[in-house]
Amino acid sequence: MSLDLVAAGTVAAMVAVATLRAATPIVFASLGGLISELAGCINVALEGVMLVAAFAGVITSAYSGLWFPDAPLWLHPWLGCAAGLLAGTALAGLLAVFHLELGADLIVAGIGLNILAQGLTVLLMAHLTGDKGSTASLTSFALPNLRWPELGDVPVLGALLNGDGGAGHNVLVYGALAATGLIAWTLRHTVFGLRLRAAGENAEAALAAGLAVKRLRYAGLLLSGLLASGGGVFLGMGYLTLFQADMAAGRGYLALAAVFLGGRRPLGTVVAALVFGGATVIAARLGLLAVPAEVVFMIPPLVTIAALVLVKQHQRLAARRRAAAGRATLLSS
Amino acid sequence: MTPSREGARIALAVGAALALGFAIMACVSDQPWAALRALLTGPLPSIERAVDGRVVVHRLVRFGAWLQDATTLTLVGLAIAIPFRARQFSLGADGQLFMGALAAAVVSLGVGDVPAAIALPLAFLAAAAAGAAWGLVAGLLKTRFEANEIVTTLMLNVVAVQVYRLVVGRVLNDPTAGFITTPPLPDAATLAPLIARTTVTAMVLVAPAAVAAALFLLRRTTLGYEIDLAGANPWFAVRAGVPVARATVLAFALGGAFAGLAGFHVSNALLKRLPIDLTPGIGLEGIVVALLARGRVGALPLAALGYAYLRVGAQAMERATDVPREVVLVIQALIILFVVSDRLAPLALGLARRTGARVRARIGGRAA
Repeated sequence: MSLDLVAAGTVAAMVAVATLRAATPIVFASLGGLISELAGCINVALEGVMLVAAFAGVITSAYSGLWFPDAPLWLHPWLGCAAGLLAGTALAGLLAVFHLELGADLIVAGIGLNILAQGLTVLLMAHLTGDKGSTASLTSFALPNLRWPELGDVPVLGALLNGDGGAGHNVLVYGALAATGLIAWTLRHTVFGLRLRAAGENAEAALAAGLAVKRLRYAGLLLSGLLASGGGVFLGMGYLTLFQADMAAGRGYLALAAVFLGGRRPLGTVVAALVFGGATVIAARLGLLAVPAEVVFMIPPLVTIAALVLVKQHQRLAARRRAAAGRATLLSS
Repeated sequence: MTPSREGARIALAVGAALALGFAIMACVSDQPWAALRALLTGPLPSIERAVDGRVVVHRLVRFGAWLQDATTLTLVGLAIAIPFRARQFSLGADGQLFMGALAAAVVSLGVGDVPAAIALPLAFLAAAAAGAAWGLVAGLLKTRFEANEIVTTLMLNVVAVQVYRLVVGRVLNDPTAGFITTPPLPDAATLAPLIARTTVTAMVLVAPAAVAAALFLLRRTTLGYEIDLAGANPWFAVRAGVPVARATVLAFALGGAFAGLAGFHVSNALLKRLPIDLTPGIGLEGIVVALLARGRVGALPLAALGYAYLRVGAQAMERATDVPREVVLVIQALIILFVVSDRLAPLALGLARRTGARVRARIGGRAA
């Protein structure tokens, strides 16, 4: 292998690594959005779920260090992770109760819960730390990184697996990849996945077939909360090691866009989430050049809008081509 | 539901949200009662009789803040409520407001030395046009490309804020100001306060006029009827020959025009110059206002007054006590959740028994 090729490969690997890292929270949240959408009640509160999960994770890991000073050091981040997942899932559960039991409009209630999460996290943060901006004054923990030191010398692959400076990838980056496979498989190959999709596709038919539609929708919303919480915990305990006000920064809504963009399919959704992650990486790289920061910040939203438009155009052209092909077959027969 | 029942339901929801908000305040504060008092009486001016018998009015500033906040909220409420008539969840009032404010400032600074009779209407129209154009984009994305409007309007908000910062920071920047801002807008293009020592201007009258205009448009014109039909049953509307796509796009644009006027209010009445760090977010507050009005355009000013009262009270509370104003975000969220939960109020009111059978039937029906 020539040296040029290795160098180019290493750069490509670095970009891929950065993209994966930036996309991990969106991947988690978009999988959550997908599963709720397929169950027929899309979770608009992904943003709030991520915020609450990140907050609960960071605060719990910090306080577990204060409360249990004798506990082994590796335990604190995992306690935080568990608390984050629990809190985020609970928020999604709240959405489920408001929508399924109390008849609240799904979208409006979702937006309401996002506002609730935004207010509550800042309120509690100000109460606990006296700071409304971030929890920088607390010592919180990050989830561990996985490294493959024995592969460090292998060109390209070493850079891909061990990342910048050989620090490895956060365990939740692998978690996102695993969740993608797991969700894709569950939706396609399990009875639960089939029933969930049936409940979303045609609730009356599913009900007539004897499925517990309401329970399935509870499951869809709770699962979406669990998945999005994974993204939130990554934000607070991997991407950064603290909680910031409004930390999710629109990623929950980007995740919703990814679901539509990906044609409501697991792989498409994850690819769309990776595209959004890549857009932020490109924006960050451009920021190093002389491009004004304002223009850089416009890139991710413009990419999102452009992607939504392009996918629709593509689908339309494909449909037209199919129709033309159908006509041709009819005429020739 | 009858209007009075509906009103009672909303009052109940707001009361419950306030009670829960107070419970949270009691958890995070050492002085919850003082905080609650500040929250509930903050916006009112205090009227005292001085020693020499004259009547002295204190704290007019906050009273003015209440009225001008209600003005902004009414306008952004319209920006949410009109697309909602066509069943579109536009969250784009923020971006439209920024574009409106920017356009108003650019025109005000650009027209040069002209009398107010020319400068003011020009800036006013520029703001409305810019907001409408920004709304139009979201509408076209929705009708031409079926792009989900929640996502596109939020993305367009980000773009608008960045365009605003680009223009204010790099084109209109006044180097003598000491912070990054546009030069002060010329006097001819700004509105003078109606009440001394406050920022209440003629815009406080424009807001109800805008509501009246919107009401007229929705109730008395073909376009308004088409927008309502497109929202009520788009399938039927298409079959009946109603141009649903056009009505939807125009609903977005109309909403945008009102948000643009809110931007005019911010730039030419409140601040009279535009700082680069104008805070986004007021546009989203329009959702609460539109919800409190239950989509009734005529009820928007009342809802805006009520909600602005709460917001200004929260600022007073933050200054007077140790409770951060974010508690209002929580109360706001609870109001949203309680107001949209159709089945919550009957349960809470103890009507559950009387309507029990019907509610049970509806739960079964909704699950389907």
